[in-house]
Amino acid sequence: MSLPKRIIRETERLTSDPVPGITATPHEDNLRYFDVTVEGPASSPYESGNFKLELFLPDDYPMVAPKVRFLTKIYHPNIDRLGRICLDVLKSNWSPALQIRTILLSIQALLSSPNPNDPLANDVAQAWKDDEKKAIVTAREWTQMYAK
Amino acid sequence: MVTSDQPIQHHQRLLSDDINSPRNFKLLEELEKGEKGLGAESCSYGLSDADDMTMTHWNATILGPPNSNHENRIYSLTIECGPEYPDKPPVVKFISKINLPCVDQKTGLVPTNKFPLLNGWKRTYSMEIVLLELRKEMAHGVNRKLPQPAEGETF
Repeated sequence: MSLPKRIIRETERLTSDPVPGITATPHEDNLRYFDVTVEGPASSPYESGNFKLELFLPDDYPMVAPKVRFLTKIYHPNIDRLGRICLDVLKSNWSPALQIRTILLSIQALLSSPNPNDPLANDVAQAWKDDEKKAIVTAREWTQMYAK
Repeated sequence: MVTSDQPIQHHQRLLSDDINSPRNFKLLEELEKGEKGLGAESCSYGLSDADDMTMTHWNATILGPPNSNHENRIYSLTIECGPEYPDKPPVVKFISKINLPCVDQKTGLVPTNKFPLLNGWKRTYSMEIVLLELRKEMAHGVNRKLPQPAEGETF
């Protein structure tokens, strides 16, 4: 099965003109499957962490969003225990005009601005609402423990 | 009830659309289906440890099929999806004691070579298909009336 031109172009550009703090490398045996790393943004609880993610472009991409998941444990109100991400552009707000690059930027932005009011049922979101300072301390600790 | 001789075709709707879906995304898809209860009512499955990011160990149940010695019994199983799942079949093991030709009577294991679905495994199959096929096996031919151990016993 040949790879659509769009995916080839996106992949090339991710390498030739990488997003600062983000890498995305396709697997040799599955060019729709990417190993991703995202650096924790400065002055966020994830600062100095290096987070691993995986990204997959389904057959229907770009009509459907990429699938993305954190592989590194992370304490964040919009990311669950299995690394699943609650982000509008990955779900209802996906548009074929978006790209791998824009999705990864959105994920990086989500690390800068956790949103505990998002409807993802999650004990971390509750902890964040109950005591934000304490939650941020925990997020920093997890970054030190798991994202080094 | 599935009654066809061609089990897999009946399960087409259960198959993942994306044949190249990598292990983790396939397992996430299976998990979501299990969590939302979108699958068959006669079986269930979920992660043994909700924090297990590798999604290796699963618990499952099968509700015994009607008009058989399995009727109204709930069988517990474990399923292990190794790093090579779904290219390789999962390791399926009964916890509840059951007398079936495809189940090792010492350990509860369903050996790959004793269960055609595992033996002819395809990456589009799923844990749900395994459970439904095991349930069919319970209702099949002589298996239906095989004497069964007392309810609640475990391997």
